[in-house]
Amino acid sequence: MTPEVTNPVLELKKLTVHYGHKRVVDDVSLTLAPGQTLGLAGESGSGKSTVAMSVLRLLPRTARVDGEILLDGHDVQTMSWGTLRAVRWASASIVFQGAMHSLNPVRRVGDQIAEPMRLHGTPGRVTELLEQVELPLEKARAYPHELSGGQRQRVMIAMALACGPRLVIADEPTTALDVVVQAQVLTVMKRLVAEQDLGLLMISHDLSVLAETCDDLAVMHRGALVERGCTREVIANPRHPHTAALTAAFPVIGDPAHRWAEPAAAPEPLLEVRDLVVDYGRTRAVDGVDLTIGQGEIVALVGQSGSGKTTLARTIMGLRKPSSGRVIFDGAAVPLKGRALKAFRRQVQLVLQDPASALNPRHKVLDAVAEGLRVHRIPGDEESLVTAAVERAELRPANLYLDSLPHELSGGQQQRVVIAGALVLQPRLLVADEPVASLDASVRGEIVALLLRLRRELGLASLIITHDLGLAWQIADRVAVMHQGKIVEQGSVEQVLLNPSHDYTRALLRAVPQV
Amino acid sequence: MRLAGRLGGAAVSLVMVAVLGFFLFRVVPGDPVVSMTRGRPTTAAMQAELRAQFGLDRPLHEQFWSYFTSLLRGDLGTSFTFRRPVAEVIAERLGPTLLLVGTATVIAVGLGLWLGVRAAWRRDSAFDRATTGVSLTLWAVPTFWLGMLLMMVTGDLFPSRGMRDTDTAPDFVSQALDVGHHLVLPSITLVAVVCAEYVLVMRSSLLEEMHAPYLVTARAKGLRDDLVRRRHAVPNAVLPAITLVFLRFGLVVAGAITTETVFSWPGLGLLFYDALTGPDYFLLQGLLVVTAGAVVVMNLLADLLHGVLDPRVKVV
Repeated sequence: MTPEVTNPVLELKKLTVHYGHKRVVDDVSLTLAPGQTLGLAGESGSGKSTVAMSVLRLLPRTARVDGEILLDGHDVQTMSWGTLRAVRWASASIVFQGAMHSLNPVRRVGDQIAEPMRLHGTPGRVTELLEQVELPLEKARAYPHELSGGQRQRVMIAMALACGPRLVIADEPTTALDVVVQAQVLTVMKRLVAEQDLGLLMISHDLSVLAETCDDLAVMHRGALVERGCTREVIANPRHPHTAALTAAFPVIGDPAHRWAEPAAAPEPLLEVRDLVVDYGRTRAVDGVDLTIGQGEIVALVGQSGSGKTTLARTIMGLRKPSSGRVIFDGAAVPLKGRALKAFRRQVQLVLQDPASALNPRHKVLDAVAEGLRVHRIPGDEESLVTAAVERAELRPANLYLDSLPHELSGGQQQRVVIAGALVLQPRLLVADEPVASLDASVRGEIVALLLRLRRELGLASLIITHDLGLAWQIADRVAVMHQGKIVEQGSVEQVLLNPSHDYTRALLRAVPQV
Repeated sequence: MRLAGRLGGAAVSLVMVAVLGFFLFRVVPGDPVVSMTRGRPTTAAMQAELRAQFGLDRPLHEQFWSYFTSLLRGDLGTSFTFRRPVAEVIAERLGPTLLLVGTATVIAVGLGLWLGVRAAWRRDSAFDRATTGVSLTLWAVPTFWLGMLLMMVTGDLFPSRGMRDTDTAPDFVSQALDVGHHLVLPSITLVAVVCAEYVLVMRSSLLEEMHAPYLVTARAKGLRDDLVRRRHAVPNAVLPAITLVFLRFGLVVAGAITTETVFSWPGLGLLFYDALTGPDYFLLQGLLVVTAGAVVVMNLLADLLHGVLDPRVKVV
């Protein structure tokens, strides 16, 4: 099907990578022609990033690499260090994930973009590169922390293009960005790849992002390449069960099969937010918000980073004092201090985005879950309460997990521990800040199902904060759209996501990459 | 605003030092007049006269007030033992101390940071093991013992007492050579003892940066290993070490009591030792104010410099 490429930019022949006895990449063969865009999909641990790093021989010394890696026809494996250094960035460059950490924090971004040009003697100017990625020229003098996530990613792209490579490898280039910024960054990348006739190898766990950007798609599973073909065909007719699972895991807005929340009768209000205003110094983060969450209702609060949704959630939880307005929980105003506040907090529990950082790495599961019980001095047998909560979060049997440390668990299991820590206090409202954003596609579905089951069995209401409209479609009863501190639109999921009335909601929906 | 805050904080610390300096030596047991006149027959009248002369007969709050106001004028009182103004005595000893401890600190910082970087970059190599092992051993060794050992081992190669010989020609070159000659043993002792601190701080701080993703970026760009280290890793890793270095520069003024005593180096450290054996309250008080003040000022400088070196810290 793929035409025989005479002069590929990149050719992997039977690439196999071992760490000790562990085989992380298993007999992968790939070719990429100039101007071709190839998406490499897979979950965490599938070996896709290892493939990316092996192209420029950036793997740690403990890795054992077999097979051939031909970059422009030359085997990277057999190059001398000098040749390899000359090839790095000049023939192939990488847009790394997490530009915050992949840029040197104490050097100006302009210097960092110029560094490979000076090193490889490439003519050109930093200003031209910044123009190409649509960044204001004065940003060259900025330090990474002074830029937004999208701007940093643009800097990474400008840097990757600095030496005019024939191949760009993009490793999860938009993972930490919200939908609107993600769409902007992807547009810039697509345009530059087309203009400069580059080969693009883009790595992501998000099939919809790859579908948006790449003509061809390859899927990796447990180190092996399980499927390769034209993007449309692979997604429409997946031949490997893992590809099918990946495509099914991403919700399609408007598809009833992806709408998992069952319709509920209009509930009694549990939490009411009335004309809430929160100021940070002179900036108004939350600007006159009205929001109601019913008993057992799941409300999705959607918006871009910086829209004020996290501040709103913190204020609802009593972690921040409102500048004006009121938060009413179960008919009474939320107390601002003392024992009453503590009692209120027991009823409203928080689930954070990244379970790996939410859990103390030195606390066993038992202690992590029991902490709330100890803080609130809840009587009863600690171990049996913890066991019940852990099993509610579907870690069964609980005694297998109680003595584990977080790093011994998978991402999905860690998130279940965080949820168990909330459940043990028998809360009535769960505030979940991007609860599935850091999880793999397959695990994501399980956590969504768990949240819905908790609502069904315990009548637990949730406020889900997310920039992922697909998640809102999957799980929520109602959606509130937040923009610049204001709720610009709210209503039932069908109404807001299928017939949006506000321009901003429409813009958000347009930005969602479609499979 | 932040700068004003830092300056204010430093000013408060300095006042605290002054207050502490006064009361600390008032609660120490012993009568200064008795110790002043030890070994000499004195009458009660003479003692009373001495008391009046040093203002010791006045109520505590009056003593404090006159101490504090004269401190603001730079007057640290008069030493019992030297019978001269404390400020003058300290100023005289400041030069030799700055020379000895300053030289040793600069060498120790340079050597320590360099060794620390090399050790971390080749972690668990023979070089790393040797560096960490030797510097830790030297750190654990008592200073006076090391000093005396050096004296014995080097024999007559280097002078081991004082700062200059009495019979040296008075011209500048011979004087400088003589002082340099005297400086060798005490500074080697000091460097050996304090170097480990810099080695270990630099090493652990660089080890933390070794897995930073921006180093992978730098390598992917095609930078040589030593450029990755010099341009990217070290500028980040050196930041925590800066604070330590400046705190240490503050302590330079305090001198090195044991080293100066062992080698009879006429600096502040030896002066401290002499003042304690007195005890000479006004001198101790003055030394405390001067040395603690130096630490406060250097700490302030470290804060400010950190802001210059690390763009993420906004000082001004």
